[in-house]
Amino acid sequence: MTSNVMVEARSVGKTVTTFEGALTILNQVSLRVTAGESVAIVGASGSGKSTLLGILAGLDLPTSGEVILNGHILTALDEEGRAKVRAENIGFIFQSFQLLPGLTAVENVVLPLELHGIKNSRKLATDFLGRVGLEKRLHHYPQQLSGGEQQRVAIARAFASQPRILFADEPTGNLDSATGARIIDLLFELNREQGTTLILITHEDRLAARCERRIELASGEIVSA
Amino acid sequence: MLALRLLWRNWRSGEVKLLAAALMLAVAVVSGIAVFTERLERTLVQESNMLLGADLIVRGSQPHNPEWSAQAAEQGIEQTTAVLFSSMVYAGDHMHLASVKAVAEGYPLRGQFDISTVPFASRPDQIIRASGIPAPGEVWVDSRLLPLLHLELGESLAVGDYELKVTQVIIREPDSASPFSFMGARVLMNMADLERTQVVQPGSRVQYQWLLAADNTALTAFAAWLEPQLSKHERLVDVESDQRGLGRTLETGRNFLLLAAVIGVLLAGVAIALAARQFSSHHVDQVALMKSFGVGAQRIRQLYLTQLLLLAVLASAAGLLVGELIQRIVAESLREVYQIVLGSASFYPYVISFASGLVCLIFFALPALWFLPGVPPLKILRRELKVNAAQLWLQIALAFAAVLLLIVLFSQNLSLALSVIAAISGVLLITAGLALGLLQLTRRITTNAGSIWRLALANLQRRREQTLVQIVVFATAIMLLLTLTIVRTSLIDEWQLQLPDDAPNHFLVNIPPHDVEAVQQMLDEKQLEREQLYPMVRGRLTAINGSEITDEQRAASGVFNREANLTWTDVLGDDNRIVAGQWWNSWQRKEEGIPGVSVEAELAQEAGLVIGDRLTFSLGGLILEAEIASFRSLDWRSMKPNFFFIFEPGALDNYSPTYITSLYLPLEQKSFINDLLRRYPTMLVIELDRIIDQIRTIVTQVSNGVLLVLWLTLAGGCLVLIAAVTSSIDSRKQESGLLRALGSPRRLMIGSVWVEFSLLGGLSGIIAVIGAEILLVSLQYWVLETPIRPHYLFWLIGPLAGALLVGALGAFSCRSVVNTPPAVVLREAS
Repeated sequence: MTSNVMVEARSVGKTVTTFEGALTILNQVSLRVTAGESVAIVGASGSGKSTLLGILAGLDLPTSGEVILNGHILTALDEEGRAKVRAENIGFIFQSFQLLPGLTAVENVVLPLELHGIKNSRKLATDFLGRVGLEKRLHHYPQQLSGGEQQRVAIARAFASQPRILFADEPTGNLDSATGARIIDLLFELNREQGTTLILITHEDRLAARCERRIELASGEIVSA
Repeated sequence: MLALRLLWRNWRSGEVKLLAAALMLAVAVVSGIAVFTERLERTLVQESNMLLGADLIVRGSQPHNPEWSAQAAEQGIEQTTAVLFSSMVYAGDHMHLASVKAVAEGYPLRGQFDISTVPFASRPDQIIRASGIPAPGEVWVDSRLLPLLHLELGESLAVGDYELKVTQVIIREPDSASPFSFMGARVLMNMADLERTQVVQPGSRVQYQWLLAADNTALTAFAAWLEPQLSKHERLVDVESDQRGLGRTLETGRNFLLLAAVIGVLLAGVAIALAARQFSSHHVDQVALMKSFGVGAQRIRQLYLTQLLLLAVLASAAGLLVGELIQRIVAESLREVYQIVLGSASFYPYVISFASGLVCLIFFALPALWFLPGVPPLKILRRELKVNAAQLWLQIALAFAAVLLLIVLFSQNLSLALSVIAAISGVLLITAGLALGLLQLTRRITTNAGSIWRLALANLQRRREQTLVQIVVFATAIMLLLTLTIVRTSLIDEWQLQLPDDAPNHFLVNIPPHDVEAVQQMLDEKQLEREQLYPMVRGRLTAINGSEITDEQRAASGVFNREANLTWTDVLGDDNRIVAGQWWNSWQRKEEGIPGVSVEAELAQEAGLVIGDRLTFSLGGLILEAEIASFRSLDWRSMKPNFFFIFEPGALDNYSPTYITSLYLPLEQKSFINDLLRRYPTMLVIELDRIIDQIRTIVTQVSNGVLLVLWLTLAGGCLVLIAAVTSSIDSRKQESGLLRALGSPRRLMIGSVWVEFSLLGGLSGIIAVIGAEILLVSLQYWVLETPIRPHYLFWLIGPLAGALLVGALGAFSCRSVVNTPPAVVLREAS
């Protein structure tokens, strides 16, 4: 059963020091996400969602506790080691899309593939852009694309590396509701096709409702799972 | 190659263009100057070698060892020989102790003879450049020999036992300053005729010259090999040992150009640093994104370093091209205007220039980019996360290190580099202080000004760091331009200005006492401007207060090492001034038989002389003791006869003097020399006008080059401004969008941009003028020794030109801020 666990957090805590003293952002958070599962982490602003996502994805380290991702104990690795784990396992989708303004749509998708030394990266990128319906927008720059289109490029970029786990940080946060709905459909469709584990942060109920499981955070603690 | 692809994408998105342009400019400035300087230096050395007739001469009282010739030939060194001696030459009943030079084929190896069939020819159409040497049986002679011997061209001249036909007069010759040429007129003959003259016998006083020429490296090695083998009668002579003054001038000129180059590089460096900062701030997100993709810090560092190196190589190559173009344009203009053809440069300045591109990148750009790989991946999720960028002080320290390294690279002179650093720091601190003060002042003055001014000033104040950098940069560039414009005119014109139009341009030397009155009369009949005729006796200073001249005193001045011209007069020359002691009208001998002498003040200071010291002179073996009565300051540049030692009248009566004077001879009366020499054959005429012309050409040449470099420096300043504006463009756009969305008219935006940058330029201009005036006053006082004059026009031109240039440039750089509709601006900025 353990071999099926893709991400596991064991008693993860995160405390930061501020002018007013120590501030606990996460407290004793433990969770397990199995391969192929889709999980929504929900909660109010400041509940620690983004911090948890960062720690689960190995972008940040907890103050206490342990995170295991696809068998790698992230908390025992240095930054280079975590980068290697991310390269092999993880894809991201961000609220603000995070497309590089100087690169065209296809170049934005190609970049991580090139960085990982994947052959035929351009063809792969073109294919994925086709799958998100942007085959005619390959050579457009981000500023020439609408918000929805930009997020579709980001989705293509995330899936093109064929990650085992996809972390999405408020993927529809910057989109109107109709566009957001189309993006949600696309995300889940690709997720199903690729069999990716999906962990997303949202405060949108309809997005959370599409996930198999919902973990709710309040004041840095899991209040329902 | 991924790095190349990334670089191309960064280029396309415009993020590295500014960096590349600044790098290119730095390399262009360095290569333009380095290559041009080397060409100029080589040409000047070659020109001076023309004075020598070769790159290197072995002078001796015996012919050189023939085995050496074989060795030289083996190394591809050009060689020829000459024999110099004094000999009586005859034409009919007339004779003259001529300075004869017999030359072999190939002479001179450097430079040419200018010859003519018209004695004393001065018009270019009368003068031709000789393509060889006199044919056997022929001689070329100084013009003055013809009147001396009542000789015409085509007639015969006897040298020793051999009759030769005079076919040309020599107008200009290389190596005219060799020892035998001063007194006797030159007779140039073919070496093949030397034996037939029977003049050179064992024991004759003859100088054998072995002339060598080749490219520098071959000759330097050969000279090093040859020198230990020379006998004590042989001496190796090159331009440096022959003309120390010129060597020093070259060195000073080179250092001056080098400073201009360094300042150019420093300005470009500031632009590079600003562009790099901007690049890195744009790439923080990209690095965080790459890290979220799982790319490690090492790989990211390697990717960015490779991109930067590629950029440096490409930009440096482009810079080399631009530099080459610039120096070629200057060289070409020199060729057109002054008929000076520059030699080619070696590989070294190109290598140095290319390397300076890398140095700039490493020291100016890298510090701003070094932190990039350390950007935490979490930044991608949490934008508010702080990133540890490079400290400003570290960047400044590294910039100074770069300047230090570059100067050492150029001049191989650490103390020069350190003093430049100290000077630059001083100038920067003072300029920054002035800029801050002026900014405060402007704020006070404009407290009640309209909204355009308030907005502009608010912008300047808010970006105070950038504003300071820009003011310092522009002030420095404008200051240098203003200074050089004046110095350049000063060097050429003020020197000319000081010389009245009728300043003496000829010296008459060696006039016998019995001809003095007649010569005076002849000159006065022609109504020529002349100086008094000074009697002149050659003598050597041998002791001071009874003690022999010390080595330190010898080192202090050349006067102690050679015979000096001694004179006496009771009339003090116009340009002479008594600075200590008394002139003859109020001086009293302390001891009978010990006459008074007036000593030139600088010499006295160098040798540590005081009034009342006893000097001992040797005049052709006779000893004369004299007491110092006064010190005189004088102007050596006045082109009038001047003397280190002037005795009281009568003191030198027993030492058979000759007389000397100087006069102004207009070009159209040049043939008067002919009449003069025909009447007084033993007189010697030195033509200064030709020398003055040559000096003027060289000064113009060098200052033109420097001026061009300073324009490039100003271009560096412009790049800094563009870099600074570009780095603030996002926040400017946001502010402008906001203000316009709130209803501010477009006119306000445009106006405030113009005011902001014009003010910046105007303040730079004011500081520049203050700096330039200080520099100029120091230069005029200490170096040029010309009267100090304020330059009123500068006070208008400096600030005005600064305001216009910087204002226009700023408005141009900010055009996207004011021209983009507010909605677009706000959307982009968000």
